[in-house]
Amino acid sequence: MTALLSIDGVTKRFGGVAALRAVSFELAEGEILGVIGPNGAGKTTLLNCISGVARPDAGSITFDGHEIGHQRPHRIARLGVGRTFQIVKPFASMTVRENAAVGALFGASRLPLAGAFAAADEVLELVGMADKASQPVVSLTIPDRKRLEVARALATRPRLLLLDEVMAGLNSVEVDEALDMVRAVHRSGVTIVLIEHVMRVIVGVCRRVVVLHFGEMLADGTPDEVLRDPRVIEAYLGEKYAKRLQEAERDG
Amino acid sequence: MQLFLQQVVLGLLIGGIYVAVALGFSLVWGILNIVNLAHGALVIAGAYLTWLLFAHAHVDPFLSLPIVAVALFAFGYALQRVLINRVIRAPLFFTLLLTFGVNLMIVNALLVLFKSDFRSVTPSYSGSGFGVAGVQVPYVRLAALGVAAALAAAVGWLLNRTRTGSAIQAVAADRDAARLVGVDLRHVYALTFAVAAACAGVAGGLISTIQAITPTAGEPYTLQAFVVVVLGGLGRVGATVVGGLVFGLVETLGQTMVPGLGAGWANAIAFALLVVVLVVRPQGLMGRRP
Amino acid sequence: MQARLNGGRLRRLLLIVFGLAVVLVLLAPLTATDQADSLGLPQLVDRSQIRILTTVAMFVVMASGWNLVGGLTGYGSFGNVAFFGLGAYTCAVAVDVHRLHLPMGAGIALAPLVPALFAALVGLPLLRLRGHYFAIATLGTAVAVGEVVKNVDYLGGATGLFPPILHRADLLFLYLMVGAAMLAVIVSGLILRSRFGYGLIAIRENEEAASVIGVNTTAYKVGAFAVAAALTGLAGGIFAVWNSFINQDLGFSLDFNIQMILMAVLGGAGTLFGPVLGVIVLEFLLQNLAGRGDVAVYAQIGLGLLLAVTVIFVPRGIVDFFGGASRLSLAHLRRALRETGA
Repeated sequence: MTALLSIDGVTKRFGGVAALRAVSFELAEGEILGVIGPNGAGKTTLLNCISGVARPDAGSITFDGHEIGHQRPHRIARLGVGRTFQIVKPFASMTVRENAAVGALFGASRLPLAGAFAAADEVLELVGMADKASQPVVSLTIPDRKRLEVARALATRPRLLLLDEVMAGLNSVEVDEALDMVRAVHRSGVTIVLIEHVMRVIVGVCRRVVVLHFGEMLADGTPDEVLRDPRVIEAYLGEKYAKRLQEAERDG
Repeated sequence: MQLFLQQVVLGLLIGGIYVAVALGFSLVWGILNIVNLAHGALVIAGAYLTWLLFAHAHVDPFLSLPIVAVALFAFGYALQRVLINRVIRAPLFFTLLLTFGVNLMIVNALLVLFKSDFRSVTPSYSGSGFGVAGVQVPYVRLAALGVAAALAAAVGWLLNRTRTGSAIQAVAADRDAARLVGVDLRHVYALTFAVAAACAGVAGGLISTIQAITPTAGEPYTLQAFVVVVLGGLGRVGATVVGGLVFGLVETLGQTMVPGLGAGWANAIAFALLVVVLVVRPQGLMGRRP
Repeated sequence: MQARLNGGRLRRLLLIVFGLAVVLVLLAPLTATDQADSLGLPQLVDRSQIRILTTVAMFVVMASGWNLVGGLTGYGSFGNVAFFGLGAYTCAVAVDVHRLHLPMGAGIALAPLVPALFAALVGLPLLRLRGHYFAIATLGTAVAVGEVVKNVDYLGGATGLFPPILHRADLLFLYLMVGAAMLAVIVSGLILRSRFGYGLIAIRENEEAASVIGVNTTAYKVGAFAVAAALTGLAGGIFAVWNSFINQDLGFSLDFNIQMILMAVLGGAGTLFGPVLGVIVLEFLLQNLAGRGDVAVYAQIGLGLLLAVTVIFVPRGIVDFFGGASRLSLAHLRRALRETGA
């Protein structure tokens, strides 16, 4: 089966620093892929390259058979890629419903006005914001703003959804709710790439995880495999701890 | 060859004026993120004050510069504190509108006070100069260049070697952090604007010695200051110096070297240059990449 | 329940009154015609008042045009007067006996085209700039275009152009300008309730988010710029033949430039009727100031003061006092009407 998303040797430099170094992996339709790594590993840059916000210096990105590495963001959105931002970017002077409706007006959806509002209602239902539809954005809490961000991206009818640290800043209960939302989105047929720091989420919802470190891919496997990988542990916790862990395991 | 040298010298001399004009403008833009459309009005106000002192009290224009500086400093402080500070957190466009309104008020107040007759400040040494290698160097313009250099040095010293300067730079770098360490934001804002107004006033004093002034003569200076800052790059005094001198050279050489390009095209050249720089290299010649 | 009905009812009442007032004001000048005389109707308006009405209509076009780019899209242009001037000159050249020698209708029809083309061309590089840079770059462009025009003989050079004078045509020009004003408001209204309008607002609110949800930001911005240019150019074209004279100072007047911005902002940038309200209020103020002595200077000081007051105390515009929600789209207005009608 051909991959939905194919990243091949993607490199991105900012000044002298390589944020991404020859990153390659493939993503099949229907997967939920987790992307983890220490801060500065290049995770958001990866999302930026896929969504067209940044342009890779080398390598290619293919989505659904289309080469999107050098396309502008709106083209990529129209092909069916949606994304959220780590620091949410709502349309502040619009209501919740209008924010979602704008998503439905554009992207891969491109509904006419009337249909867009109906689609907005559907999407808000899915993320659990239906009761707040006519509220102005400024009155929303952080978790709700994140939901709105997801709703707006969903309204564009993406086949691939890129979520950038949707759980950041949420407390335990909110994380559970957000997890349910992610599962619901996945069930509706959307392939998901999830950047996260909260391991509970990665383990809970991803069947495959990719680890980035200093722009390079360190590991690619199930959450279990990846989290036991000594190189990954070293990257996150440092050489000393990794050694100690190894010794502990050897000693039983 | 001699003509060319003459033009280069003149270009640098006028460039000095542009540096003086742009210093304050750059300061307000860099620190307060305000593009002050009333800057030219402050310049011309300084020019009128110099003229007043010269015409009625017979004070040499260069000697009255400190007085003008103090007067404009006070005015600038009050202006910022009372009016401009109210829109400092508003969208950029509102600050543009407000400063434009202030510009209208100052220029027309000057029109009411002084009418639109042209005035000039002509001390005894006005027309003379000295020659060096066949190039004529007018005294007044050379002195103006000297003052401009001193002004740039003073502002640089203020920003980099005084506590006040550190406070100002802190506010520019991170407003909230500065506030947390005890910097009085409103005072720093007003102080910065006051220093900028003082610079504008001094620039105006210099200008009054080299051209005839009328209340509306300040308008081109705002736009020229903008070009200088864009050309040199926002942020450091050095960048403004470079921008001002380059602009002076380009303007003088352009006007005399290219046939058919009279004074009428000066503005058009300036703005063509501006738009090109903004689109091609927005950080200016010396600015840091955004 | 009672309170909402009253609020909505009041708004509906105000709208109806406003609408009637507008209709009356627009029909009143007809009493100055010969036909009205022969019917024995008293003349309700005189020539100078017709001039004022025509000016008001002209500014409605310009403020609405600016509103599309500055209010809706969030790109505060300081150079829209360039479009006015280009439209005026296009028409003047078109009708000039020694140049294209076309009928007036053709001149006016051509007036929107040149500015729109210009906007599409310069918009591409200019609209890549933001905030201050965009504002000053557009200002610079307007000044530069004005200067170029002044130096070209075919465009009348420093003297300007003199379209043929039409006698007893006050009413013709009034209704032409009013027609343009209605066109401007209708176009704005259509845009506000369309995908295009929502896309523009999205660009204003957060351009990066807009682009990743699929808005072609470049095309939309340039499109809004071109529509604004066409409308403003139309006003310029009609102005040229109405005034029977156009030169660089008039066509690229920085006064007109700042006035159209102030009117839109004062009335309510980003709304449908904000610019209209702003024009009416500002023209009313300016006309009343015009009665006193040494006019120009004090009017300018007043203008400056008004700018300061607006920006500090009424940044959202007068329309905000009539219910903030109506800012966003005509849909809200229709909903409000529907609510009260129920």
